[in-house]
Amino acid sequence: MKQNTQEKKLFNFGISTLALAIFPLFWFLSQAILFRELTEIVTRNVLVLIAIPLGSTFIFLLFIGMNKLINFAPKDSRDVLEARMFVGPSIFMIGLFLFYPAVRTFYLSFKDRYSNDFVGFENYVWAVTDAEMITTIRNQVIWLIAVVTLTLIVGLIVGWLTDRLNKGESFFKSIVFMPMAISAVGATAIFKFIYEYRPPPLTQIGIINGIRVSKGDNCYNNRIIDGEFYGFDDASCVAPVGWLQQRDLSALPIAETLQDGSWLSNMFVNLPVNTLLLMVIMVWMYTGFAAVVFSAGIKAIPAEIMEAGQIDGASEIRIFRSIVVPYIKSTIVVVGTYMVVTVLKAFDIIYVSTRGDLETNLLAVKMLDEFSKYRNFGRSSTVAVIIFICVLPVIIGTALRERDNLDS
Amino acid sequence: MKKPLLVAFLLLTLILGACGGGSLEGEEVTITGALIGEDQEGFRANIAAITEETGIIVTYQGSDNFEQEIQIQMESGDTPDFALWPQPGAVVDAAKRGMLTPLEDLDIDLDEYKSNFSSYLVGLGTVDGVIYGGANAANLKSIVWYQPAEFEARGYAVPNTWDEMIALADQIVSEGMNPFCFGMYSNGASGWLATDWMEDIMLRTGEGVTSYDKWVTNELKFASDTVTNAATLLSQIMHTDNYVVGGTDAIVSTYFGNAQDPMFSKDANGNPGCFMHRQASFIPAFWPEAAQAGVGVETTVFPFPVIDESLPKAALGGGDMWGAFNDREATKVVAEYLLSASFHEPAAQQPNNARLSAHTGFNNDLYSKDINRILGTIITDALAADAFRFDASDLMPPEVGAGSFWKEMMNLAVEGPGYIGTAMDNIDKSWP
Repeated sequence: MKQNTQEKKLFNFGISTLALAIFPLFWFLSQAILFRELTEIVTRNVLVLIAIPLGSTFIFLLFIGMNKLINFAPKDSRDVLEARMFVGPSIFMIGLFLFYPAVRTFYLSFKDRYSNDFVGFENYVWAVTDAEMITTIRNQVIWLIAVVTLTLIVGLIVGWLTDRLNKGESFFKSIVFMPMAISAVGATAIFKFIYEYRPPPLTQIGIINGIRVSKGDNCYNNRIIDGEFYGFDDASCVAPVGWLQQRDLSALPIAETLQDGSWLSNMFVNLPVNTLLLMVIMVWMYTGFAAVVFSAGIKAIPAEIMEAGQIDGASEIRIFRSIVVPYIKSTIVVVGTYMVVTVLKAFDIIYVSTRGDLETNLLAVKMLDEFSKYRNFGRSSTVAVIIFICVLPVIIGTALRERDNLDS
Repeated sequence: MKKPLLVAFLLLTLILGACGGGSLEGEEVTITGALIGEDQEGFRANIAAITEETGIIVTYQGSDNFEQEIQIQMESGDTPDFALWPQPGAVVDAAKRGMLTPLEDLDIDLDEYKSNFSSYLVGLGTVDGVIYGGANAANLKSIVWYQPAEFEARGYAVPNTWDEMIALADQIVSEGMNPFCFGMYSNGASGWLATDWMEDIMLRTGEGVTSYDKWVTNELKFASDTVTNAATLLSQIMHTDNYVVGGTDAIVSTYFGNAQDPMFSKDANGNPGCFMHRQASFIPAFWPEAAQAGVGVETTVFPFPVIDESLPKAALGGGDMWGAFNDREATKVVAEYLLSASFHEPAAQQPNNARLSAHTGFNNDLYSKDINRILGTIITDALAADAFRFDASDLMPPEVGAGSFWKEMMNLAVEGPGYIGTAMDNIDKSWP
């Protein structure tokens, strides 16, 4: 009997290695070789055309083949094998395209710029001592705190208020949601026009500077009135400001009112204006998304609870704080998690607008700069690892919460 | 009876076929690079001539993301036959990583190559005495754009020396106008215009070309007197009140391509926003369309003023350089053509061409545009006299040349002359 189970186990093991390892491996290799040969024969355009049907046929045949092999296994162990068969390829793919690169990046972060020699923790020391890296990390922290909080708060308020509307709720919600439909690159391009600066006496095409320079008597954004030309180069007119190039408030007129030397005004003068203005773009983009998700959560609150609150004489604010917020807490956590990951990956806004100049850099752009601009693979990998470490608590938190949800 | 004949026939075709392998008709050679738009059209016209003469199908594909793409291609081994880098430093980098084929293996006559393109240019693509890079086009940076009509109307003379330029600037300021246009914002590369100014001043102060070459290798530190003096002269332009239209804000905020626009725009009194703009030869492509038509006539150039008159007249420029990734027969033939004096002729005759040949034997009269004839002559003369120097920041390690040097120039513009010492120290410290 014992002999029998041992044999059965061995047989099962043989079948599963054959079906889940050897056969797929052989199958993938043959496909890779076939395509390598094909690239020699046919042109690229044709190759792309045949790759899609051929590739999907391969996957189809892969599963049929695996299924056929599993059918040789005894009946009672087939279920387990079939489950493995469906999960297996995706685990393999994740391993190949996600896990392996991650491990290799970690490994490269301990090597020099050409990935030749080990340098120990040198790259990590650089990451926490280099002035530019410190600024980048500071910006990333400001972005994390401010963008996530602002998006959540404004999203909650908009979601709550639109829910109270009698008419036109979907209309307002779709307007607020609309920036989400624009790519980050497009949104940044829009805001670049808002912040645009031109040296005088050129016409200001940025809306903020356009309004600024036309303030006051006899100041016009280069207009011709009754055949007479009016500009803004008079000393009494307000000068245009290069918004995305202001690292602090010192160049702005407001700085003069803040020169009293107290710690509060000192801190205020050091506000990174350009970073704040760039964060506005992201808040603008994601507020709508947050609002729509929150509004769905608010709709799910049973009417009885709200009515009970109203009957007890609670004010709107009290209802919002004591009923709405606790009820949709899990939604807030989910949106918050999503926002944290999005901010850590934030790349396109900086890349399109300032490209990290004048202390606006973020980690994702820095990673690319180290790779392609300074060609330092070690440092680039180190920045990638730092981003990964920042995302790690979020991933673990989400996983823990998922487990709790499953348990309960 | 017929069989031996057939065998003989087959053998003959085989032998002929083997010999016929010498023809490169239909072979494909690919070149990638950063040239796009008009430049790409010009380059394609140049290589079309190769295809016409040899039958080799040469294709060029430009991309504004070229430098990242070629990095990835080199990592994966999926390289084109040639890459045309906008700066020679990248060629040296690729050669050091063992990616490129030496020109000697491409059967290039190296002595002839050196005498055609000057030993300085050739030296830029050389690693440990082995030549990897092929010089191609050059551009000129040592020029100041101005409008002769505006100068004449006010009785201004074109300044030949730095002191004359400062005197002219002071006169313009005293008449209530701004002499200079200066904008160095450039997405991800902000600050390079100031590094260009520094380089032009360096070539004309200290020991000229000699101290310049030492500076490139950090043998001459940024904190040295010569370099600090250059920064002080630059700061004089940036920070003297009313010298630059819009002041510091304009310097750091204006996109370099729009920096000259005030010159083409008149204020309420009919005065242009500025009178002088030091910028490289490519800048007309960024001008408003109406101004572009008058390039070389309405808006033209004077050479960057002499500072130390005992030094020879130098020219600062940039240029691209190609590297070859293999030594196929077709690659060798194309390399030969890329280095010939006539290579740039088709592009030179195009109406919108802005690229200038770096070949000293190039016939400058062939350029269809007036401005290109002026610039081309300055370049070939400087090259022949070995007084042509490449952009120093392009030759420095990328952490400096594309990192701290740019960054500290931006900081200098914001912080003012008191920051010069700190800026120089910071750049020296970042040298790897």
